[in-house]
Amino acid sequence: MGTAVKSQLEDVWPLSPLQQGLFFHALYDSGRGDVYTAQIALDLVGPLDAGALRAAAETLLRRHANLRAGFRQRKDGGAVQIVHRRVRLPWHEADLSALAPEHREAEARALAEAERLRPFDLARPPLLRFLLIRLAPDRHRLVFTNHHILLDGWSTPVLQTELFALYLARGDDAGMPRPTPYRDYLAWLARQDRGAAEEAWRRALDGVDEPTLVAPDAGDDPGAAPPDRVRRLLSEDLTAALSARARAHAVTLGTVLQLAWGVLLGRLTGRADVVFGAAVSGRPPELPGVEQMIGLFINTLPVRVRLRPGDTAANALTRLQDEQTRLMAHHHLGLTDIQRLTGVAPLFDTMTVLENYPSDPAAAGTDLGGLTLETVDGYDATHYPLALAAVPGRRLSLRLDYRAALFSADDAARIMDGLERVLEAIAHRPDTPVARVDVLDGAGRARVLRHWQGAVTGRPQETVTGRFARRAAHHPDATAVRSADSGEALTYAELDARANRLAHRLIGLGVRRETRVAMLLERSVDVVVATLAVLKAGGVCAPIHHAYPRRRVAWAVREVRAPVLLVNTPMKDRAADLDVPARVLVVDDDPELAAQPGTDPGVPVHPEQLAFVLFTSGSTGDPKGVMQRHRDVVDLATDALLRTPAHERVLVHSPHAFDASVYEMFAPLLNGGTCVVAPPGRLDGETLERLVAAGDVTGLFLTTTLFNLIAEERPHAFARLRQVLTGGEAGSPAAMRRVLAACPDTDVANVYGPTEATTFTTFADMRRALADPDETTAPLGRPLDDMRLYVLDAGLRPVPPGVPGEAYIAGAGVGRGYLDRPALTAERFVADPFGAPGDRMYRTGDLVRWRPDGVLEYLDRVDLQVKVRGFRVEPGEIEAAVAAHPAVANVAVLARADAAGVKRLVAYVVPREDVDEAELRRHAAERLPEYMVPAAFVLLDGLPTTPNGKLDRDALPAPDYEAAAEGRAPRTPEEEVLCGAFARVLGLERVGADVGFFDLGGDSITALKVVTLARQAGLELTPRDVFTHRTAEAIARHLGDGTDRLGLEVLLPLRAGGSRPPLFLVHPAGGLAWSYLRLARHLGPDQPLYGLQARAFTRAELPESVEEMAADYLEQIRAVQPSGPYHLGGWSLGGLVAYEMACRLQAAGERVAFLTLIDAYHGQDLGAGRRDVLPELLQGIGVDVREVAPDGRPDIDKIMALLADRGDALAALDADDLVNVYRNYENGVRQAEAYRPGRFRGDVVFFTARRGRAGLPTAADNWGPLVDGRVLDHPVDAEHHELLEPRPAAEIGAVLAARLAAVHAGRRRAPRWESR
Amino acid sequence: MTNPFEDPDGAYLVLVNHEGQYSLWPSFAEVPAGWTVAKTEDTRQACLDYIAEHWTDMRPKSLIEAMGD
Repeated sequence: MGTAVKSQLEDVWPLSPLQQGLFFHALYDSGRGDVYTAQIALDLVGPLDAGALRAAAETLLRRHANLRAGFRQRKDGGAVQIVHRRVRLPWHEADLSALAPEHREAEARALAEAERLRPFDLARPPLLRFLLIRLAPDRHRLVFTNHHILLDGWSTPVLQTELFALYLARGDDAGMPRPTPYRDYLAWLARQDRGAAEEAWRRALDGVDEPTLVAPDAGDDPGAAPPDRVRRLLSEDLTAALSARARAHAVTLGTVLQLAWGVLLGRLTGRADVVFGAAVSGRPPELPGVEQMIGLFINTLPVRVRLRPGDTAANALTRLQDEQTRLMAHHHLGLTDIQRLTGVAPLFDTMTVLENYPSDPAAAGTDLGGLTLETVDGYDATHYPLALAAVPGRRLSLRLDYRAALFSADDAARIMDGLERVLEAIAHRPDTPVARVDVLDGAGRARVLRHWQGAVTGRPQETVTGRFARRAAHHPDATAVRSADSGEALTYAELDARANRLAHRLIGLGVRRETRVAMLLERSVDVVVATLAVLKAGGVCAPIHHAYPRRRVAWAVREVRAPVLLVNTPMKDRAADLDVPARVLVVDDDPELAAQPGTDPGVPVHPEQLAFVLFTSGSTGDPKGVMQRHRDVVDLATDALLRTPAHERVLVHSPHAFDASVYEMFAPLLNGGTCVVAPPGRLDGETLERLVAAGDVTGLFLTTTLFNLIAEERPHAFARLRQVLTGGEAGSPAAMRRVLAACPDTDVANVYGPTEATTFTTFADMRRALADPDETTAPLGRPLDDMRLYVLDAGLRPVPPGVPGEAYIAGAGVGRGYLDRPALTAERFVADPFGAPGDRMYRTGDLVRWRPDGVLEYLDRVDLQVKVRGFRVEPGEIEAAVAAHPAVANVAVLARADAAGVKRLVAYVVPREDVDEAELRRHAAERLPEYMVPAAFVLLDGLPTTPNGKLDRDALPAPDYEAAAEGRAPRTPEEEVLCGAFARVLGLERVGADVGFFDLGGDSITALKVVTLARQAGLELTPRDVFTHRTAEAIARHLGDGTDRLGLEVLLPLRAGGSRPPLFLVHPAGGLAWSYLRLARHLGPDQPLYGLQARAFTRAELPESVEEMAADYLEQIRAVQPSGPYHLGGWSLGGLVAYEMACRLQAAGERVAFLTLIDAYHGQDLGAGRRDVLPELLQGIGVDVREVAPDGRPDIDKIMALLADRGDALAALDADDLVNVYRNYENGVRQAEAYRPGRFRGDVVFFTARRGRAGLPTAADNWGPLVDGRVLDHPVDAEHHELLEPRPAAEIGAVLAARLAAVHAGRRRAPRWESR
Repeated sequence: MTNPFEDPDGAYLVLVNHEGQYSLWPSFAEVPAGWTVAKTEDTRQACLDYIAEHWTDMRPKSLIEAMGD
């Protein structure tokens, strides 16, 4: 632009806070500029002088300098508005009067829509446009479109008034007062006491440590679609009552609406302390003429509504008004600044506005020379998922704008219904607690409280002993219990007799009805015998965990006041010298047992009697004993889902003291099946597979952790089972998918339930749930028979679907409470407002929500969910992984923002034994995707807890990165540069030369930034150098080692070590194989990995065909691995090349043991030659072409600058190499089209990018006809170009690891892969 | 989310049902059917103390009767 700009320059201004916010958003969302585009359309009825109107618009622009402003970013990141002296008025006219009348309106709307969708370039003023549409000789429509950064909704009527006043004067403003310049407002802003305002806002938002989001997963991208809209006109009565209510409490109507929205928002988010945005006019009254100004003044400010359950509308209104009044003088602070004060950004995703605009020219009845105005419609810029607007009047008019991608029309209508109910309650019942307002209607309540609950069966109440006796009588010779490996087995009759003898013995030792019997048994058939015997004696089983330390065992025996402690021989020593009053009975070595009668002792047992006391960990202090009744056990075992053939032979392997053992023993025993008892010790995948085969097991339960572990290392271990139940933590869909794929005849069910409600409360069939490839979590399903699960808010009201609430369990299975803890029982087992009179419900402390289809979803600690680098991270998942380390006794993971505002994951570990940070990091890194590995491990003696037993997050110390980062000072200039770069990207003061980059929280993204910084300082460095050498010292030492340039060699070693045959992955069309680095860590240290990269970086001519590349690369890989079996693969074009290589190897008599194609298809018309490759190549690396070249012709310098700015890996390339990427890409698309593959003998492991795949064939359709083996398709939830982003790469890596492990294992046993 | 049973400063009731089972109950909420107020509004701790003192046999009444003691 250069000199032309300078001559036009009238003034340069700073931006107002809101302008800054919009400027930032507009830059960030570039290409989605229409979200910040506002539009109004006015119908002009009567004779119109178009020339006069245009002249009026010209004058308008001349009068208001701020309408002539363009916006630019300065080098330092700040922004300025540059006021141009003259701008051309964007004025267009369209004549539709010749169209058939029925087409005119549609065409006019299409024209307006096109105006709205045409983005503004912020740097090129004016950011407004006029379009005059002639609909008929005496009917016109004026469409005024502007960028929101220029003017706000309050300005629109001012602008209209002024425009038509100028129209009457034919553009002559001689008689009009000069408008107050926007510059005066900016000057006023600069005079305000910023410190006082910050202090006021800090106080107002004190304690707000998380955002209030109705759509937490929405992301920041509002999409291109305008919001949908639902309107509601309140009755005159309700409107009047609301006004009266406002007057009665001396508050404004705005406050009433804000309270109503706050209450509703609390229900929508399940929170009692909510924050949302409210638009304020932002026009300072002390500025003369401010009401007549046209510009951006409006500000969106946070409104915080805190509600205690007991609050009435009356006192909540008064409090809210007081809080608002205190902030009145501080409305000038921008939202971004306020959010920065709280450290929470964004603070909210909903907003409200009361549209009490100053004037309305259409209603004012101005004489426009016979012309009258009719507002057709306006389009207001908003980027919030929900935005409520209220227009006062005789009937209050409400308008809810909602993003259709996030809410359905039904949702929006229900939200509006709820709002109306809240408003009614405020208007008419000011002295009732607002918590009692129900936002659900009758049908909504019935759905969540009844229809989505467990089937009501009318089963009779039964006892375990009674039902067992009937089964034993029915088929005495069936096998009741069997040892999975020793072959020992008992029929029902034999089990019955043995249990009877022991029961008689127990009665002899003083066991009576409800007497607790402590049990410390190593797993064997005896466990089943003893459990049954205790129940037959009328007693209560109190199993003690075999891993309890000695003192804990003694404590438990005393706690249950057991007169007898049952042990078996292996546990005998543990029971010696316990110093408890209980008599120790060794069940497999008791001389008196044989003499006992084998007949039933005939003790009467009531279904309400206890069967078990199970200890669960208390959050503070001692464990508590959960009391389960006979009827609870029977109800669980006879549920329709557990009475199936899948649970005919169940593996008993869980610790006796764990509630899963109740399922393991009684699901088979009470239904005529067989308990298959696993040998003592922990289960691993191999053992499991062996036991399942040996015991002909049909079903079993595994904790989530164990399931995930086996799913990863041995997914086929489940293949012989009919059903695997898993639960205990949030399940992993990836692990479940792996198992379902490896075991086509096995079902996986996700089960959920606390011990207090007897083991399982809900059940979800995962084969069905995960058949939907969009499913990204393991849902909980629905309650079992006769069970109910309520999702309630803090006011004990059922929440609508989609809203998080706490799970309360009622109905079958809710046990008696906690042994000898009446107060604790009364606060956890509480009155059930929704069941039969006098029913109780158990309060779980778990956060869950209903999905719209009535399936429950577990959220765990929804308040702890964090985003790290844009990825949703559940600390619970990380905790589970860290906790799997044998040295870890307890762990808490949370995301902490450091001084620089960078969020990092920190693991607080209570060690069981000596362990260091490096070991924990290694352990975590083996189990978690890289972005989930904590940046710091802090070792503590114990985790601090709050008085009510929860983890006290505030008391956790901040990790000392600085101390960790110390180390020796840099000695060479190179080390200096590298240490500086480390420190800068990690936000640290300094970093020692001998400290590992990744130990300080570095990751692959920050590593790339290091490379960029180092290159700017003149060091030739590749990302690989950072990954390989890790410390500044080591990297500096190896500088210049590489003979090839910058990791551009054709054969790029990504991991050279390891004993397995290497995996070779061929580059995608761009030519670089760097992205495969992301897979390396998932494949394990024993798997060498090489990337193949295009020749274009090392020579000028490009290959002619896929075949030519294949031949070339085969020579390369033979240098590393002279003979097969080969393991090959590739992404996109790379897949085609790898396929061709595989075919050629087979033709040459070599073995190809593994071939993976990552979203690669042959024979597709890719439009080579007619498509514009550059924008999509740039998109593939996350660059919007319009960012670098609005005209679509980017120059390479701009791209390089942008890449450097973003710390992108490609910034490490020089401009020539970037051009090479482009050449490769263009060439690659052509070659992919031309390639005609042959036949491959073997399986193909395929990954399908599920998103954005319009027009592509399935893997099976595309490759099935060519491949002799199977095409094993793994859908990945990503677009094609995103497949090697961290999350999808983790998924692909996990599958590859499992598949490769299977190949290597198969080879060790039988080399059969090449025989196909 | 603050649980209504966990508010240390809240006002609570003690409820009892026909089986002699006790429940802590926030006083802002309506008393569910089948429950009667055993102790009127008081602090959380006072209510818990009351329950600890009065709920000495945690078996439901019907079971106590059935077991004949």
